[in-house]
Amino acid sequence: MDGSYVSLSDYPDAKGFIIIFTCNHCPFAKLYPARLNELNLKYKKMGIPLLAISSTDTIAYEEDTYIKMVEKSNNESFNFPYLYDSQQLVAKNFNAQKTPHAYVIWKEKGIWKIKYKGAIDDNGAEPEKVENNYISRALDQLLNEKEVEIKETKSIGCQIHFRK
Amino acid sequence: MKLKIFAVFLLFHNVAFSQNISIIKFETLQQRITSNPDTVYVVNFFASWCAPCIKEIPEFLKYADENKNKKVRVIFVSLDFKKNMSESLLPMVQNLNINQTVYLLDEPDANEWIDKIDNTWSGVIPATLILHKASDNRRFTTESLSYSLLKKFAN
Repeated sequence: MDGSYVSLSDYPDAKGFIIIFTCNHCPFAKLYPARLNELNLKYKKMGIPLLAISSTDTIAYEEDTYIKMVEKSNNESFNFPYLYDSQQLVAKNFNAQKTPHAYVIWKEKGIWKIKYKGAIDDNGAEPEKVENNYISRALDQLLNEKEVEIKETKSIGCQIHFRK
Repeated sequence: MKLKIFAVFLLFHNVAFSQNISIIKFETLQQRITSNPDTVYVVNFFASWCAPCIKEIPEFLKYADENKNKKVRVIFVSLDFKKNMSESLLPMVQNLNINQTVYLLDEPDANEWIDKIDNTWSGVIPATLILHKASDNRRFTTESLSYSLLKKFAN
């Protein structure tokens, strides 16, 4: 994290993105940093970078302030940008409701389309027991120019509390 | 003597532990919340790490207490990780004095069962399902519920 603003247009060569709405405080989100690093390591070089976004209301959760995000990003050696959605507008645009809430977007004829939304995989607490890597599977299908088979999944998470 | 003290301790420990929380699978939960068609089941999904959940639990307890002579059952379903049961969930249940049924749902892949509770549910908690089979009434919300909201919602 270096304090700069990030936009999808900063990545002119990207085929797609893995967008993860996450945060510092949520126990479900805390299970995934290593797995997010792995995803970014694998797919960034294929033209699909991972962007993590925190849209949490920092008034409600002090643990999610920008400074604490920088700390977390450093402590967990994030190899991807961890972005602060201070106005919660990105989350609203995506209709993201919880953390973690994952999206795969793909560029089709110059337009970004959501191809997958939901869980990162099917076992938060026990990574060694994961059977379905929903994001990887969607990306591998997209890279092979196939239709994404599982387009949406559900998972437990912490609510993104939208300021009124 | 030492052995005796140990035995007594173990006994109490077990009593406290088994008082409220049982670990169940989704199928069992579904059976439990539909077992009596005349009963109104108020099913609250929560976790010990979820601040807004903890906030609303006393409201549910008040509701349960108020309706204890009616065919109303309040059931708390914890989505805590199984491995955190004794260190996080159990102390929370004791601190809040939850005197109603508490289940820990042992289903790591929520995608397998969330839609069976409600297909509009994204998986955020708290979430509350109210079921009354006899009148074919079924309501679901992820709003935080106060006592008065809950009363309105359930009636």
